Amino acid sequence: MTRPRSPSCTTSSPLAFAQLYNLVAARVYGLVKRVLRDPAQAEEVAQEALVEVWRTAARFQAGQGSATAWVFTIAHRRAVDRVRSEQAATRREEQTTAWAAQPPYDQVADEIQDRFERQQVRRCLDGLTELQRESITLAYYQGCTYPEVARMLDVGLPTIKSRMRDGLIRLRDCLGVEVPS
Amino acid sequence: MTGGDVHTLSGAYALDALSDTERASFAGHVDDCPTCALEVAELRAAAARLADQAWAVPPPALRTRVLAEIANTRQEQPRPRARGGWTRSHRRYRQLLTAAAVVVLAAGAAAGTYAVQEHRVGQQRAATLDARAQNESVTAILSAPDATVRSGPIDAGGRVTVVASASRDGAVVTLAADHAPAGDHVYQLWLTGPGAAVPAGVLPVGATVVTRVVSGTGTAHGIAVTIEPAAGSRTPTLPLVASVRI
Repeated sequence: MTRPRSPSCTTSSPLAFAQLYNLVAARVYGLVKRVLRDPAQAEEVAQEALVEVWRTAARFQAGQGSATAWVFTIAHRRAVDRVRSEQAATRREEQTTAWAAQPPYDQVADEIQDRFERQQVRRCLDGLTELQRESITLAYYQGCTYPEVARMLDVGLPTIKSRMRDGLIRLRDCLGVEVPS
Repeated sequence: MTGGDVHTLSGAYALDALSDTERASFAGHVDDCPTCALEVAELRAAAARLADQAWAVPPPALRTRVLAEIANTRQEQPRPRARGGWTRSHRRYRQLLTAAAVVVLAAGAAAGTYAVQEHRVGQQRAATLDARAQNESVTAILSAPDATVRSGPIDAGGRVTVVASASRDGAVVTLAADHAPAGDHVYQLWLTGPGAAVPAGVLPVGATVVTRVVSGTGTAHGIAVTIEPAAGSRTPTLPLVASVRI
């Protein structure tokens, strides 16, 4: 175990952070893994994202939304950055074929995930039009840019932009997302 | 770009689906447009909920590494323009943690159990085995085909989430309170109905976040939470501070 450095630089408590970790780690790791499709890289990027949360905690402002939304925004951004870097793109192609051979523990996790698929978010996603849902999930879970999504779905750029926006608005209303001001 | 075009980018921006150039230009626009900033915050929060669907058990080593790294990582000072008058990052961080605690997902439970069990210094191997056993009972309940998820607020702030499975005769209860009870008092969990309430676990003094596997939920009507003296009580002291139907 590394000994903590002088506490002068850490007015926030590492203990508080450990509790936050317990709350968000499964979703941070799962999200990053979903985007990267590679458990090893996912672990690395999840670590970077969680350390960034610690490092920049002072920047978080309640007016920007909930704390967990902020954490997942950081994690998603990190995952997307990684997936778009050229090196990751190559590695991902190699990974696609090896995807079938997962450690058993991922199977367990996926089983639980399937269980929760039918929960609120699933219901709300089901309430979107097919184009809204496809646009949003391709961008969010695969890390595609909107021009890439437009090409994949063979739809014009303005349409894709609008579907992402109105789809998210519908999702926001269905989930009852509120941003404290 | 026309004004209308800029606005339609908010969805793609919230999904991180813009190129770097577009992203920078849209971020610049948001800085000068309070309405857009609100919309972006809301759409981002909605997008962030998609992470709920991507839940996966993180490797236990991740926690060890992250905590080791933050112990050696300096926190950035707040930006001067930050609003809200939070002068101490400690206070800000408490708020962050509190806000996070409110949004406890039952899905976070397994990781929490892992983490708590995992942290015993000097008994790492035993702890790992222990964690696995704990995690298995959590997993068994969470993955039961008849598992239901319900949650309810805690009076003084916070949330109790219960994943119950009749076929497993058990429930995974996660409690995340904004505040610990005053003095030497603690939160205590109860299985309620049809007869008298049955004690289902006492939190340590000062504890605000916990994951518990509660067995024997077969005939119970719900899970309730009360505030009790540190040792816990045999019968609940009213009022209930939270109650979730199973």
